[in-house]
Amino acid sequence: MSRKRIGYFENKQDPENICSRCRMCELICAFQHHAVGNPRRARIQVITLGQGEDIPVTCLNCKDPPCMNICPTGSLHRPEPEGMVRVQEDLCIGCAMCVNACPVGAMTLDPVEGLAIKCDLCQRDPQCILYCPAKVLKLTDAGQTARHRMKGYAKFLQIAGEES
Amino acid sequence: MSVFAGGYAGQILYVNLSEGSFQKKILERDFALKYIGGRGFSSKILWEELKPGVDPFSGENIVVLASGPLNGTPTPSASRLTVAAKSPLTGALGDANSGGYWAPELKYAGFDAIVVKGISPEPVYLWVEDGKAELRKAKHLWGLGIHAVGERLKEEIDDDTIHICAIGPGGENRVRFACVLTDGESAGGRCGIGAVMGAKRLKAVVVRGSRDVGIADPQRFKATLDLYRQTLEGEAWTETLRRLGTPNLVVHRQKLGIWGAKNFQRGTIEGWEKISGEAFREKFLHKVLGCMGCLVRCRRYSVISAGPLAPTYTKGPEYDTINGLGAKPYITDPAVILRAQYLCDDYGIDAQTAGSSIAMAMELYERGILKKEQVDGPELVFGNGEALLHFIEKISYRQGFGDLLAEGTKIMGERLNAGYYAIHVKGLEVDATDPRGYVTRALTYSVSTRGSCHLRGFPYIDEFITPEEAEVFFGTPAVSRLEALEGKGKMVAWSEDWVTLADLAGVCKFAWYRSRNFPMLIKRGLELMNEILAATTGLPFSPETLLRCGERVYNVEKLFNLREGFGRQADYPPQRFFNEEIPDGPAKGAKLSREEYDRVLDDYYEARGWDKKTGQPSQQKLRSLGLE
Repeated sequence: MSRKRIGYFENKQDPENICSRCRMCELICAFQHHAVGNPRRARIQVITLGQGEDIPVTCLNCKDPPCMNICPTGSLHRPEPEGMVRVQEDLCIGCAMCVNACPVGAMTLDPVEGLAIKCDLCQRDPQCILYCPAKVLKLTDAGQTARHRMKGYAKFLQIAGEES
Repeated sequence: MSVFAGGYAGQILYVNLSEGSFQKKILERDFALKYIGGRGFSSKILWEELKPGVDPFSGENIVVLASGPLNGTPTPSASRLTVAAKSPLTGALGDANSGGYWAPELKYAGFDAIVVKGISPEPVYLWVEDGKAELRKAKHLWGLGIHAVGERLKEEIDDDTIHICAIGPGGENRVRFACVLTDGESAGGRCGIGAVMGAKRLKAVVVRGSRDVGIADPQRFKATLDLYRQTLEGEAWTETLRRLGTPNLVVHRQKLGIWGAKNFQRGTIEGWEKISGEAFREKFLHKVLGCMGCLVRCRRYSVISAGPLAPTYTKGPEYDTINGLGAKPYITDPAVILRAQYLCDDYGIDAQTAGSSIAMAMELYERGILKKEQVDGPELVFGNGEALLHFIEKISYRQGFGDLLAEGTKIMGERLNAGYYAIHVKGLEVDATDPRGYVTRALTYSVSTRGSCHLRGFPYIDEFITPEEAEVFFGTPAVSRLEALEGKGKMVAWSEDWVTLADLAGVCKFAWYRSRNFPMLIKRGLELMNEILAATTGLPFSPETLLRCGERVYNVEKLFNLREGFGRQADYPPQRFFNEEIPDGPAKGAKLSREEYDRVLDDYYEARGWDKKTGQPSQQKLRSLGLE
């Protein structure tokens, strides 16, 4: 049971280990998929929230993916049971229903081709992870994310205890 | 369609604000081959299209915003934008360079450069998107600080992915050293380009684009990208930059005693530990930032969360702002420096010249040349942070004594008959360090084609080059000896040609053109740069032709300045550096010798093929560069 996705893991205690907004993930993603420079074609986007907060966002690889469920042509499909939903380009009509359906905005229309694009984990070798200088992107799944959160919480409990 | 296989958008946007008209010009292949981009484009366009002697604030002046061929590709640190015009601060060629995200976005929006002429009858901003452009009313933005302009435009356009190059009140009020800021963070600081935009009533240039920046040979590109990444791994300089940012240099300046503190009356700073890279990291650093595609990440994001100046959220500090707003006015309260930088950014004035002007006035006040009744506000004495913050605002609105400070040190010196205390070259204030004791630094700062600048060349080569390398590259092993003069003119000229490539390609000098290992300078700045430029554009560049491009641009800039009357006499450091010794610290006793300086300047002119009396490039030199 392991639906892999790109997760964001920062360490607030280490100013070098937080998203630095360099957008290398966007650049290398678009390059990997289209061999060009164009971050609007990237499957991962750095969202700037202000006051020094920036967070990269991409596909969560849902169990019951609304993008695939709503796709009217069957373009969006899941070739492997736990794998990423993929776009079959010759079936995609660029209707953007998947864009509306995705709860986190990870489905977008390619601004050049007009068809749906989404993270495909670069055939198991995600380039964003490889090139991220802050090393905040990791291949993860819900189980690992939960474990990571639990560790953070456990450390808090270790210091503060349940009562505080 | 573009004639280029990659890298270039293929067209330059011309805007006439007086007429409200636009023109798109095809970017010619030959032009790209000779000038590459960025500062190469802007300097050539200004030289060719500006009439000599124009008033920088008139409609005849031209603002150029130029990207390079690597902007928009995943080339690491290809974030840099050149903004240029005839400088209202110096009257010479003016340009400034900023990081951030704007230059890549200009490419995605379909243009390599924007050339702005004329004066708009009312405040406007320029909107550029996917090959289209329009002028939009900006009356509601006029008067706003740069941060507010950004928020307002993002709200209005309902998109947080637009990128904004804006001016603040400083530019509107024609402060001679008003800057532009991209996205409220990245200053194209020097030479007053923001004031020229203000005079044109151009509040901002806003870009948004979704076009591809092509890459001619993706495989070669990727291989070069990976080779470049390898050069950063474990490199001490890169790690220091990431950990401390440019403020890492604070300890270096103190150790060598070359701060130029108190308007160059001191070499060291008492209490410097409070404003060191370590101190800023400890107290204020929220996180490190990277400009577009940067793997080094030297930029800081800082927060003042306690005390009277809280809350302040700001990028920075940089070494240069600590120098300008700390060392020069002799302020060692780090929160005041950060706040001062934030204000300079919001008002849109150059922190370095602002600090220099205020520091010069402090000296004049302490010497009694400026009288109390001439100077309104908190007492203008060294170390008074309240005065610094006060006068930054007064400068920006040209109120009271701020009106004179807003002229910069050269004009202030002329008005007060105190030019000796104006520490500038060609009207641009000396930044970064005190070059006394380092004649090659003094030479680099002084021959710089935009006025005093520590980034125009790379004079530090003699600190680490081996005698063998020196022999091969500069024809004499003497270049490897710090105290030797022989070959230094040639070394400085070479370093200018070489480091200029960063400004042409659109990359950051810290990420590509810094190392204390000469073979690494060659590898990154010339070999890998050539590889990535060739892979991106498909143009037949070579390391040799690239250096010729750097030389060509430097010569064009020299021709521009000669035409404006800046001859040999304008290539000298300020008097103070010849007359007065550094009075304290490790560099105590250091000053420049006129004889030595004359000699390296002669040597430099000779290496450049320029006439020793006039600085005029020889016909032969111009012919060889295709500039006749």
